[in-house]
Amino acid sequence: MQIKKTHIIQLVLILLSGFAVAQQHEQTATIKPVTMKTEYEVGSSIVLKFPATKAIAPLLYCSNSYGSTLISGNRENQELHYKIPDNISEKIGLINWQLLDAKTPVSGNISITPKAEVATMETYIGPPSIEAGGTDYTMLVVIPTDSLDNPVPNNTAVHANFQFLDSEEKEAILTNNLIAFKNINSKKESGRMLVSSECLGINSKEFTINVFAAIPTNFRISSTRPHDYADGNQITTFSTSIIKDRHNNVVSDGTFVTFIITNAENNILKTTGTTIDGVATSKIIHPDFKDQWRITAFVDGMAESNGITLNYKQVIEDFEVSFSNNNRTILVGPLQSFMEQMIPDGLQVKLLVFKGDKLFKTLTKTSFNGYANFTLKPAIFENETYNFELKTAGKTKVFKSKKLW
Amino acid sequence: MKETSNKYLISALLLGLAFHGSAIFFTLETTYDALIHLFFADHYANSWFEPWNYEWYTGFTVQSYPPLVHQTIGLLSLIGGLKFGMFSVALIAIVLFITGTYRFSLLMTSNKTVAGYATVLAVFSSSFVETLHIFGQLPSIVGVSVLMHALPEIYLWLKTGEKWYLATSLSLIAVTVTSHHVTPIFGMIFFIFPLIGMVLMDVSREQVNSMKEVTFKVFLNSFFKLFKRIVSFGMLSLVLIIGCIFPYWLNSKANPITQVPIPHGSRDNFLEITSSGLVFFLIPWGVLLIVLPYIFYRYYSKRYLFFGLSITICTILGTGGTTPIPLKMLGETAFNILTLDRFTLWASIMSIPLLGEFAYRLVEGDLKTLIQTKFGAIYHRIIGGILAGLFVSMVIFTMSLGYFRPSQPQKIKMLPIVNFLNQDDHDKWRFLTLGFGDQMAWLSAQTNAMTVDGNYHSARRLPELTTRPIERLENSKFKGVAGIGSLQQFLTTPEKYNLKYIFSNDKFYDPILYFCGWQRLRQLENGIMVWERLNIPPVSSILPKEDVAKWLKIHWGIMPFLTVLIAFILNIQMLWVNMLKTRVKPIPDFLKYPVAYTKFNRNVLRITHIWSFILAIIMCYGIYLFYLKNDTQRSPENAIMAYYDALDFKEFEKAHSLIDPESNLPIAQYMLEISVTDGLLSSYAKMDAIETEITKHNDSTVSAKVTSQWITPLEKIEKVDYKSLSKHKGKWYLQPDDLNNDLPPDQLYSDNATKYFNQGRRRITTEQTHHEDILKQPVLEVVSAKLVKYNGSYAIIGEVQNIDNVPADVILKGTLYNDNNKQLATYNAKYHVKHKLMPKESSSFRINFEGIAWSKTQDSIPDTFNPDEFTPVEFEEQPTKFNLQVAGNVSGSDLYKNVVLSAVNFNKGTIHGNLFNSGLQEITIPQLLITYYDANKEMLWVDHLFVKAGVRQQRKQDFEYQILKDGTVKIINSDMENIFVNGLPNDAISSKIVPNRIKKRSDAQLQKIDHPNFSYIKIEINTYIGSPN
Repeated sequence: MQIKKTHIIQLVLILLSGFAVAQQHEQTATIKPVTMKTEYEVGSSIVLKFPATKAIAPLLYCSNSYGSTLISGNRENQELHYKIPDNISEKIGLINWQLLDAKTPVSGNISITPKAEVATMETYIGPPSIEAGGTDYTMLVVIPTDSLDNPVPNNTAVHANFQFLDSEEKEAILTNNLIAFKNINSKKESGRMLVSSECLGINSKEFTINVFAAIPTNFRISSTRPHDYADGNQITTFSTSIIKDRHNNVVSDGTFVTFIITNAENNILKTTGTTIDGVATSKIIHPDFKDQWRITAFVDGMAESNGITLNYKQVIEDFEVSFSNNNRTILVGPLQSFMEQMIPDGLQVKLLVFKGDKLFKTLTKTSFNGYANFTLKPAIFENETYNFELKTAGKTKVFKSKKLW
Repeated sequence: MKETSNKYLISALLLGLAFHGSAIFFTLETTYDALIHLFFADHYANSWFEPWNYEWYTGFTVQSYPPLVHQTIGLLSLIGGLKFGMFSVALIAIVLFITGTYRFSLLMTSNKTVAGYATVLAVFSSSFVETLHIFGQLPSIVGVSVLMHALPEIYLWLKTGEKWYLATSLSLIAVTVTSHHVTPIFGMIFFIFPLIGMVLMDVSREQVNSMKEVTFKVFLNSFFKLFKRIVSFGMLSLVLIIGCIFPYWLNSKANPITQVPIPHGSRDNFLEITSSGLVFFLIPWGVLLIVLPYIFYRYYSKRYLFFGLSITICTILGTGGTTPIPLKMLGETAFNILTLDRFTLWASIMSIPLLGEFAYRLVEGDLKTLIQTKFGAIYHRIIGGILAGLFVSMVIFTMSLGYFRPSQPQKIKMLPIVNFLNQDDHDKWRFLTLGFGDQMAWLSAQTNAMTVDGNYHSARRLPELTTRPIERLENSKFKGVAGIGSLQQFLTTPEKYNLKYIFSNDKFYDPILYFCGWQRLRQLENGIMVWERLNIPPVSSILPKEDVAKWLKIHWGIMPFLTVLIAFILNIQMLWVNMLKTRVKPIPDFLKYPVAYTKFNRNVLRITHIWSFILAIIMCYGIYLFYLKNDTQRSPENAIMAYYDALDFKEFEKAHSLIDPESNLPIAQYMLEISVTDGLLSSYAKMDAIETEITKHNDSTVSAKVTSQWITPLEKIEKVDYKSLSKHKGKWYLQPDDLNNDLPPDQLYSDNATKYFNQGRRRITTEQTHHEDILKQPVLEVVSAKLVKYNGSYAIIGEVQNIDNVPADVILKGTLYNDNNKQLATYNAKYHVKHKLMPKESSSFRINFEGIAWSKTQDSIPDTFNPDEFTPVEFEEQPTKFNLQVAGNVSGSDLYKNVVLSAVNFNKGTIHGNLFNSGLQEITIPQLLITYYDANKEMLWVDHLFVKAGVRQQRKQDFEYQILKDGTVKIINSDMENIFVNGLPNDAISSKIVPNRIKKRSDAQLQKIDHPNFSYIKIEINTYIGSPN
């Protein structure tokens, strides 16, 4: 019996030993990393450890979104140590690794999580100028990053600060997929908005948004002039009321206003001005003949003014004309203004020369000391009979059948 | 016999080096060509083996010109800079020329004293002086000098058959080829062929007893005897001509010159255009003209017979367009490509040995004896004195030509421009120079920045340039309408060439720059105005190039110096022997045929006398005509011509001297009156033609109708003036014109205006501009746009408004498509838009599609180019759709808006009106934009008018505009779908910012007109301020 017991024990031992061998085989088939940690904070040193069973150390393949590499292991205390290189461990995201064992590859992954710290903050804002009124907006984009240039974790709060006129506001925006952004709508007022942002104790620099007035609304016009005579020399100035947008903001400086003048003959004259503090002024020289002006102004397609009417009184009621030097010299004048003074130099006097009914030549002269003097050069005006028409200050005088020789 | 140094040769060398060597420092840089060679040299200095050059013409290959001279300058520049290289090469060229003439003369005359005489005279020959000091053609001089060195060697090879001479002659031919390509080709014909003939004559002479016995049969025999040598030399030199600059020939085949003929003075009729006759005929011939009978007499002697033929052909070809013979001889193509002055140069060089001979015979030979016995010693002295005097005065005259009639603008300091291009990445764009002359090549040599222009028109590739008969864009004003038109195309669509900066040395171009949408940046320290255009993308970092095989590059880089090296090794021995007289050398064969100067032919002397007399008469008559033409007050025509010329060149004192002194107009008053007239005509016009019609009244009074044509940068202007002239003491004077007496109301007045300043980058940094420093592009809105056809030309017209709050620079780019969406043409708005808009300001616009706009540029360009004419389009490809891209950029300049339409009148198809300047700046050129509308107030057409005179502050200026004649405008497409502003759809912008546009008031400014096709017009005013203050 004793022998039988021994035999049984031996048999069991043999069986057990065989089991033990089998177990040992199974263990080499599934090498497990010694450490099972799969989540690391970015920047920390990552070493994958495997039990070292064989003499040969397989290579470790690892890759992240920036690229892939092979790492050879170090044997330490019956363990294989694989140190993930810094350029991989310093980027957030997933690292896939695989132990390149010929028979049974072992693989796994590690995720690198962002650090909740901000080293630098990229801030963009644009467009830098918007229109008042609430509909136009600009966008603030903040990208806080850690010292390793990784974005901060999702839902990290970024505090945006806005200063506009009297108000100072703060608003928390949460980062999502690297960035935090916000559309900043304009207010009803125009002005300058300053924006900054802060994230985890780090502050951005100051950004400026110009909020310009919206498009102008209707306005009124007025005029000033030194006198109401049509002397062709003084200047009438038109000005607008303060032009504002529909939210009562004064339109931006330089806004272009056109003044349209329709005269008695329904001809359209035009002068323009640009606003300063909402007021556009524009000048025009007086007509040199009796006229009635109807004036309106507009900002093209956007705003218009009321109409005003100005009357200009005739200054020269009559003038004299004398012919001399074989009728080749024509002296017009004296041309006298409203107080019997000589008209200021520069009044246009036109001489229309007709051959029969046909207009032959138009000569234009400007008055000097109250007179205008025409000389009919023989090169142009041959010895013939002509009809003359003299026009100045809206008055016309006709001289028929004058013979030149 | 111990050989003695030729004292004439040595003195010629010393004189030549002293005279030319010191003069080049004052002349070479202002010559036509020297700086171009400098630019090429700079290319080799920087990239010896890479033939592609990016700097000119959007890229070209330097394999288009033989490289030896350029490479030599480039190599020397590594020691002492480019100019050191250039002057060194010029000195080498002088030495080569002098020694070359000596050897050539010795070969021809077989007499060392005569050769010495010829050499001394050659130093001062006016053709050499002109080629070097006025044209600066260094490669040409080197080429022809080396050819002259080669001639004795060729002679000896043919005569003796010693292979050594074959080697030396071929080595020198190779050097000639690598320095200038035209010289050996024509040199073959004009120098070597006659030389072969001369050898044959000499060989024939040896077979018989006297020259008279040399018959055609004997000649033919010697020809067959030497046939092998001639053919072997001919074939081998052909191989060298092709082989030494093989990449050049390959390139000429790959890139044939497509350039349309560019007018050149040497092709003019010298009798009509006397200045060309002077430069291309009279100066190069100089004193040789007097001895022409002698030269022909000698060259038509039996021995030189073939040289006689050669010089005759050269002489005739050199007369250019004076007679139709050169055109018939060369054929249309060759006539229009070649510059014919080179034939005169060769003829004059060919004459040098005989000039030497003549001088020798006159000074100490048989001619002296003949004259002394016939006319006496004093006459001989006088004749000698006159000839010497003429010779010296010709040299002085030629040298001073560049001083009195400078061919180049004043020397420009390049450093500020180079600095400007280097700072702030300005060299990332192309630039253009205006009014720099050939100095633009010097600028290009100093900077890495690229230009669209260039100074070597054979290498051009852009069809915009090759299809125009202009030398450079840079001096386009001298090429009239075609020149300005070509320039306009580059200024209107600069983004096509990444052209952003223009350096203007000529205020003439300012208006065209302004009206094409350019703005002034600043004036550099050297007075050059910098203009820039906004919205131009930088040159891409990778540029296309036409690459050639590596072996071609290596061939090109090595071969030229290799030929020089071989020539040096082969010939230096000879030189050494010649120079140092180290050993006695057998007399070369060509010295065996001396001419006995014993009896000067009496007939030749007689003919020379008669010929000189004829020349003297022609000259006197020429001077008399010149006097008649230039005596300003001789006739009323002269007085008017002189007056207008004086005005054209702004010589007001001279103009005033032609004003009737009895009118008591002091110069101060006259100057004052001139100075207050500004504007397109008085400040930016160049007179093109003038015609006077005189009506005589009595002996002392006439009236004149003066019709003058003026080229302005914007358009051609015809002006008709009526002038009265009167005669006092035999001199004609003009009567002064009337003044505009307009008196402004205010002595002092004020005005407020909004002004803008853009900081650019706020931080001083070399980095790219910070994000927050970049301004938003101003928002523009295209209010209306349509594709129309009027008078056979297509245009996109419409109205654009700046709806932003900042002033905007507007660039409109239109593209036309056909029904199949095939792109047909693209162009930018030129004159027909106000390029600078204040906030809320609008402008009508019109985009013309002219010249280069069309895709098939080559086919569509008419022969006679006129920018105001439109290019017809092929009929199967009618545009039906359009795309309009509008770009706005913030700009604070040229925003002067204080101009008023103060009076307007309609009269039978004309609008008369007044412009009034209500602001503080003087308006130099007012422009009216006239928009035509139909009865429904729909826009139909946009036209423009440049008012010829400026408007001073608080003054009026009248204008007259002809309303367009009848002609229906066909609206092809008014779909506004494909309109984009700063890259965004126009619709979205307009509905966001101006959703409810008020049309009524804008319509109120439309003026009703009486016209069958148009119902309303609108007048807008744009202003160019010449000198803002």
